[in-house]
Order: sequence, then structure tokens, then C-alpha cells
Amino acid sequence: MKRYIVRRLLSLVPVALGVASLTFALIHLIPGDPVIAMLGDNASNADIVGLRQRLGLDRPLWDQYAAFLYGLAHGDLGRSILTNEPVARLIAERFPATLELAIAGLAIAILIALPLGFAAGANPGRPIDLGAMSFAILGISIPHIYLGPLLMIVFSLDLGWLPLTGRGGLSHLVLPALTLGAALAAILARMLRQSLAAAGEADYIRTALAKGRSRLAALVHHGLRNAISPVVTLLGLQLGGLLTGTIVTEIIFSWPGLGRLLITAISARDYPLVEGCVLTFALTYVLVNLVTDLAYALIDPRVRIE
Amino acid sequence: MKRRAFNASLMIGASLVATLVLCAIAGPLVVRVNPDAIDLARTLAPPGPGHWLGCDALGRDLLARILWGARISVGVSSIVIALSLIAGSLIGGFAALAGGRIDELVMRAVDIVLAFPGFLLAIALAAILGPGLPDLVIALAAMGWTSYARLVRGEVLALRERDFAVAASALGARPARLLLRHLLPALSGPLMVQASFGIGGIIVAEAALSFLGLGVMPPAPSWGNMLDAGRAFILVAPHLTTAPGVAIGLAVLGFNLLGDGLAQMIGSRPV
Amino acid sequence: MMPLLLSAVVGCRSGAGAPPSGYLQVDIDTSPLALDPRLGTDAMSSRVGELVFDALARVDEHQEFAGDLAASIERSAPTAIVFHLRPGLRFSDGRPLTARDIKYTYDSILAPGSLSPRAAMFSELAAIETPDSATVILKTHRPYAPALTLATVGVVPYGTPIVPHGAAPVGSGPFAVEAFARDDRVVLRRNPYRLAALGTPRGIVFKIVPDPTVRALELAEGVCDLVENLIQPDLLGYLQRRPALAIDRFPGTAYQYLAFNFRDPRLKDLRVRRAIAYALDRRAIVDHLFHRTARVANGMLAPENTYYFGGVTTYPYDPARADSLLDKAGYPRGASGWRALAFVYKTTPEGERLAEAFQAMLGRVGIRLRIRVNEFGAFYGDIQRGNFDLMSLQWVGISDPHQYRMVFDSRQTPPRGLNRGAYSNPAMDRLVETGDSTLDRAARRAIYRQVQRLAADDLPYVSLWWQDNVVVMDRGLEGFRPYPNGSLRSLADVSRGPRAHVERGP
Repeated sequence: MKRYIVRRLLSLVPVALGVASLTFALIHLIPGDPVIAMLGDNASNADIVGLRQRLGLDRPLWDQYAAFLYGLAHGDLGRSILTNEPVARLIAERFPATLELAIAGLAIAILIALPLGFAAGANPGRPIDLGAMSFAILGISIPHIYLGPLLMIVFSLDLGWLPLTGRGGLSHLVLPALTLGAALAAILARMLRQSLAAAGEADYIRTALAKGRSRLAALVHHGLRNAISPVVTLLGLQLGGLLTGTIVTEIIFSWPGLGRLLITAISARDYPLVEGCVLTFALTYVLVNLVTDLAYALIDPRVRIE
Repeated sequence: MKRRAFNASLMIGASLVATLVLCAIAGPLVVRVNPDAIDLARTLAPPGPGHWLGCDALGRDLLARILWGARISVGVSSIVIALSLIAGSLIGGFAALAGGRIDELVMRAVDIVLAFPGFLLAIALAAILGPGLPDLVIALAAMGWTSYARLVRGEVLALRERDFAVAASALGARPARLLLRHLLPALSGPLMVQASFGIGGIIVAEAALSFLGLGVMPPAPSWGNMLDAGRAFILVAPHLTTAPGVAIGLAVLGFNLLGDGLAQMIGSRPV
Repeated sequence: MMPLLLSAVVGCRSGAGAPPSGYLQVDIDTSPLALDPRLGTDAMSSRVGELVFDALARVDEHQEFAGDLAASIERSAPTAIVFHLRPGLRFSDGRPLTARDIKYTYDSILAPGSLSPRAAMFSELAAIETPDSATVILKTHRPYAPALTLATVGVVPYGTPIVPHGAAPVGSGPFAVEAFARDDRVVLRRNPYRLAALGTPRGIVFKIVPDPTVRALELAEGVCDLVENLIQPDLLGYLQRRPALAIDRFPGTAYQYLAFNFRDPRLKDLRVRRAIAYALDRRAIVDHLFHRTARVANGMLAPENTYYFGGVTTYPYDPARADSLLDKAGYPRGASGWRALAFVYKTTPEGERLAEAFQAMLGRVGIRLRIRVNEFGAFYGDIQRGNFDLMSLQWVGISDPHQYRMVFDSRQTPPRGLNRGAYSNPAMDRLVETGDSTLDRAARRAIYRQVQRLAADDLPYVSLWWQDNVVVMDRGLEGFRPYPNGSLRSLADVSRGPRAHVERGP
């Protein structure tokens, strides 16, 4: 087990490096001159040369790459060209809000998926199964960009229960988290239902029934335990979507997080800030994948033996 | 798990997709209203006779814009899926057939791209490449090709050892011919299922990029940028949001159900 | 289970941070950039700054200059204006305000290496003299008619350094800054050294609410007491139906224009500019997009301005005429209906709707408009660097026709002045320079009549409209006085009448 953990942690380095390099490469994909893209066609020569120097774009490529990695290792992501503030600081200010939203989204997804999936899986073929699964397929199909406004219209404007936008207390978190987590909830519910329905026909259920235990208890005991593995796998695949889903959700709800910062930076052609935000998102994703891999290893012994 | 004799998902899904494609192709021909024609006197008009879905913030007919938006959604996603499918399959297939170091190299590259969250890659590329349809297609295609590469590589590795493949190889078929004429057709089932879910994902991704101002540019009516434009008027004209939102939802629902149905048909578990 | 969970987290929809009792809440859309009057040149900084800082003179409700800190103003010589200060002036921390503070304020702006962007506006200022602690003399290099525009800078205490992103300085206005959380709110509390009538606000909270729907909702729910000019006209009908709200509309001087970039040879052709002017249906935009909360404009100065002259060329909507002008200018329609004319129009997300309206209208006459949307900072940078073909903005708070020189004089290109389109017309240059140095009112009026005629004929800008000031407020607020330039100074004197105690809930 320990060896597996160590191996996975070690693999973090090349993956993180790869991701960082890809991000670095993106800036150099800008068609034309990135400095002119940032300042505009009629910028003065002095402005252009000045910015080019500041961003180190006049140095050879390997030099820039080395400087980029050095800066990364020291937490220096350059400065925003618009406000001249350090990118790392701007990101650090906004990141907690995104984290809060993502965790809330995950929590709501699990809270919804567990009862829904279980109820459906324990009663396959019955109306509750069909109802829950129809709900689920809807949840997967409605995109964030519509679900958000829909929830706003119903719960904020028409019913007046919840605030419309912005970050504040718990009541401000409900609609954004629901928007973010709905699709994940639907996918999880379907997966859970699948696992449970399959488990319901397994031998050990019959054994348990023979022993006098209720079907429900047997399902909970064996079925859920067996479902954990595919659920964790699924989570591992879907958490990336959850993370990037925060970008659109933050825009809809004026949530002051990293996603909104990214979009504003793009709109401002502030490429150092764009690079910093993309890097932060990507590295977070790598970390999340690592954690889920480790969690999966904890659950499924077969993985460790490989 | 019991196989349902009547594949509801396939039926409903196929109908929705067919309706969508029909709307995209024939819709603008039937509803002969210019989607870009503004009529300021009808700003934010609610649904009614003459404008069955109402009008937007500049008095443009919403129904016409939804139908043209269908063209954009279906058009862009088809091209993107085709590109992803072809590129991914070829790359994955050749990697599997070539084996050894090339296979390793290709899979490392795939891993690095996969270590990057897909939608983020699309946003970054769209932001960097700038506005324009070809750039949008590139950004979206970059999101999904890896899943086809992995699928095809996995299956080809397995199929490689099967009789028909060995026979063809023995008869002197070059790897390309082997791949294209024998192996890929055997994979058409799983590829179709994957593509079906994929199109739904691309439709949403394009809408999201347009929503964020990184995709289809106004005045062209993408369902995504229509949703963005409708946000400011949610208090007095929610129909601006409902129309494109329901359109996307139904389109994606159709492809998801189709995927489900196809998966049931070929026997793999729907998820 | 879900409804139970939901009801557990549901609270008052307005959320955290209700203002303290006796405080007014005013919602605004963006954060003031800087509360130091020497730094903040944006509209929001000025609005808030007017309540915190006094100046030698200000523009009053009748669009006339009147003494603020000055009890009397007189022109002692063509190049000198004398201000006699009121007695007993104090800053909000108790310090007396004397001529020394005023001189320091100006010196700190004009100091070499000063970070103040206002420095460029004071190039005509030669010296500031303070013969005694209650007298300030502003001396200009030449006879300078708009000299009073130099007197409108908020005054800070002697010795206050200019610190970007620093704390707000102390002022002598009716309020003082209690707290400034950028992107959240500005909190003002009453200046204890200024007399305040009973019942007037103990403080004002300027809450930054970027989402226009939320601003309307906060008004409707009674969370916010007043919003000026930042409610979308489409939402006014919704707000009008709320019995607890009152909507006040009065003429405004905010001037919306379409600017041309004269660095582009195609736009140098007057026929093209005239065609664009005829192609825009301003009446329809004002009627339907603004719901008549604006007046179609024929020039930069609104009718409320004493120098206004209405006898100028106007451009009623006439797409046929635009077509023929473009044909004559050598841009015939191609087979597709488009002409060989495509322009880049830059705007911000807030301006996108208008941009698409322009795009459609110009499209009708065969001109292709490419819209580029950027966040305000990048947009503003583009404008300053001349990186646009067409763009539309607003001039707010024009008081003196000196503005014509700032925007149309060929030497006033950025960063020095406001001529972002690099317009160059020797006749205009001569007129506006003479206008600055002509002190006789009647003669000056004659000059600016010519200026307004020339501006309408030569079209450096297409005049779009003058935006009304629309104030939506709690019906119980009494004493709000409208200023044509949109100033909120009268907030210091409003009070809640007895009708205000209506229970309003979410």
C-alpha cells in the first residue's frame, strides 16, 4: 500500500510538469504577436517594447521556460498587465470562493444521489425507479447555463426564497451549488441504481434472505459496499467536470471566484493572469485526480497489487 | 439485468434527434423570418401571434433565432465530432498497431492532455485563438479526441489477436488497410455510443463557450449566446432564457437517450 | 427532505450587511476607482467624492458655477480669479480648512512626478496665490474663460500624500469616509463639523451591485433606498408597479456620442460619416430601448447649458440618403448587398445591446460592423491608444463649452487630452482656442455657436442622445433635489417623511 502511495505521489511531479508546460505553450499559440494582442494595433513602440521586456518575451524560448518554472516553484506567476498586481495574490484571493462552491456542489450531488439512486436501485422496474431515472436523465441533459437561470427564476424571483446572486451566507450558496452539482447528482444516482439493481439479484442477497434478514438490510449492507468502488471511479472521472463547471456557474451567479477571474482576464486580454488561472485550475485537477486514485486504491485492494 | 423488449430510450432519443436535425435543416426554410432583423418596437415582446416564441432585446424573432441556432449547434457539433472521432480513432488505432515505443509515446501525450480538464482546454484555446468558427472547432475538438483514441486503442489491442485480423495481416494487409477496412468497422458499435454522448457534450460545450463570449459571436444566434443575452432581462422577459434553454436541454436529452438506447442495443451497460 | 433542508438555510433574501439605522443605502454598479479627489477621475469616484470633499466652486442645480468653499468669487484681472473663503470651515476631523490646504491640494496634483491624472487638465494654471488664510487667487497664463472649471477639485488637508489604493483622505464635505471595501461598499458617516438638519441621514452606504437585476430587486424589496441612472429602462415598468417606490425623471446633460477614428482614411471622408449619421435611427433607440428616458441630441451641450445653440444641422433617420451618399463616396453595393466597408466597433459587455442595434442599422445600408467586446479596462486602453474604428461613449457632467477643446482640438490627443479619434480641423482649432480666451459672455456665445454648427456639419462625432436622470427611490424620501449633471449632493438633506414607515418585506 505504501509503495503504491509513494509511486502515485512521485508520478505527480511529471504530470504537474506536463500540465504546466502545456499551459506555458498555450500563450505561445496566440496568433500574431501576443504583446500586440494585449495592447492593440496602434500601441506605441515604447509600450510594446516595454511590455515585451516585462514579460520576458524577448528572451529565447528555453530561457522563458526556465524562468516560468522557476517562478512557479517560488509561487511567482508574474503580474497582471492591467492592474500590475501579482497574479498569485489575485488568484489566492479568489480561490477559496471557488473551493467553497465546488465542495458545496459535490456535497449536494451526493446528498441528492444517495436517496434517489438507492430508492431506484432497491425497486428496479417500479414507478419510483422510472421516475427517479427520468429525473436523472433530465438532470444530465439540462446544461448549467440554463439550469442556473431556471433555478433563479423559480426560487429567487417567483418564490422569493433565496437570494439571486452573489456570495454571502448559506442561503447564497444553495442555488449555485445546486446548479453545479445537479448533473453529477444525476450521473451518480444512475450509477448507484445500476449497482444496486445488479446487486439485488446476486447470490448473497438470497443468502441473506434465507438467513432471515430483510431485503432492505441486505441491500444496504452488501449492495452499497459493492457500489462504492464504481462510484468512486465515477467521481474520479466527473470531478474535473465539476471543477470546470464552476467557471460557468460563477458567471451566472456573480460568484467572486477563480472562474470569474479567468473570464474577466480573458476579456481584458490579460494573458499573464489567464495563464495563472488556467494553471491553477489544471493543477487542482491533477491533485484531485491523485486523491481519488488513492481513495480508489484504499477501497479496491486489487489495484495495489499491480 | 433484463433486456427490455421495447427500447424506449432508443425510440425517444432517435425521435428527438431526428426532430432536431429536421429543424436545423428545414426550419429556417419554413419559418422565413430573418433572425438578424431588428424591430425595436417589438423589444422583449412576449410570445404571441406573429412571434410564436416572442422577441429578444432588439425585437428579433426568437423562433427564427432558435431555428438558426439549431443549425449552428448541429453543424458545429457534427464537424467537431467527426474531427474528434477521425483524429482520435486514427491516432489510437495506429498507436495500438505500431506498439512499443510509439504506442508509449502516444499514450503519454494522451495522458498529458487528459490531465488537463477538457472544458478548460477548450476555454483556453478559444481565448487564445480568438473569435471565429474554425478556431472554435479546433478548441472543441481538442476537448474530446482523447476518449476515442483510448477506446480505439484498447479495442484494437484486443482485436489484433482475433482471427480475422491475423488472417488479413498474413495476407499482406498494411496496418492502415487493416485498421480502416477491418478493425474500425468492428468497433462501430461502441464508437457510435461514445459519439452519441459526445455530441451532447459538444453541444453543451459550444453553448457554454458562446455564453462566455468565447464562441459564436453576435449577431449570429447560438443558443449559448442567446442565454447570455437573456440574463439581463430575466425579471421582465424570462422567455428569452426559456426558449434557448429548453432547446439545448431537448437536444442533449435526445442524444443522451439515443446513446443509452444504442448501448442497450449492443449490450453494454448504459451510464 | 429537500424542502426541509432548504427552509433551514433560507433567511432574509437580502442577505448579510443591512445598513445601520439612520443610514441610506444607495446601490451603484462599479466600485469608485479612488476616493482621493486627486486620483479618481471616473464618474463613480466623483459621485461619492462630491459628498466627502468640498471645492472652491461647483456646478449647481441650474448648471451655473457657484461658490462651495468660496463665499464670493470675482475676476480681478483677465488672468486672475479671486476666491474669498467662508468663515469657520472645518475638515471632518476638526482641523480648520484654510487657503493653505487649497494651495497644497493643487500643488500636489501639479508636482513633477505626481501620480495624479488630473495634472493634464491644469496646464493653463500658472500659479495659486494665498495672500491670507481666507483668500485664494488662481492665476492663468492667458485670459482663460473656463477658469472656474479649474476650481472644482475636492480639497484635502495640507500634507496629505497621494497614495494609489490608499485610504481616503479627510474632506470637509457633509460626510466622511468610514469604510471602503473595494468591490463591496463605501460607507460614509456624517461629518460632525457640518450642520445637519434633523431627520437627515446619519450616513450613506454605497453598495456595489454589478448585477442590474439585483439592483432592481433590492429597490423592490426595500433593501436599497435609491438608485440613480443605473436601472435598465426595461425594468422601470416593473418598478413602477411597486407602491413603495417613486420614480423621478428629469432632463440630464450626459451626452452619448458615436466617435470616429480619423486615423482611418475611409472615415476621413465626410460623405461616409454623414451616411453613418443618417443610417442610425436614434429616435427608435430612444423610444424603444430607453423607453423615452433620453432626448435625441444634436450636439454635445444639452439645452440646459447657457451656451446651447439649437440651430444646427440634424440627421433624421434616412437610410435612402445614406445609401446614395455611400454610392457617391465610391463604395457601391456588391452582389451580396454588402459594400466594401467594414469597421471595427469596440465596446464593453454593457454596451453590447447598443452595438448590435448599430450593427443591424449599418447593415441595412451595406456597412459591416465587427463588434469586439472587452472588459472596461482593456476597452479603455484601446480607446486611449486609438485602437478602434468606431466606438460610443458618454460625456458626463459637461458644464463649460471648454470641453470642445478637450475633445476636438487636434493637439489634445491622449494622453494629453480627450481627442481619442485624432480629429484635426484647423477651423475648429482656431475657434476653440479663441473660445477659451474670450472672457466676454456674448462674444464667447457667438464663438460657440459657430463651434456647434461646425461640429454638426463636420461630424467628428455623431450626436446620439442626452440621457435623462432617472432616480428610483423609496417613496418616503423627501427633499431630493435633481441636478442636471446627476450629482447626488442633495442626499445630505433628504429625510424620510411620515409615509415612509410602510412595512416592506422580502
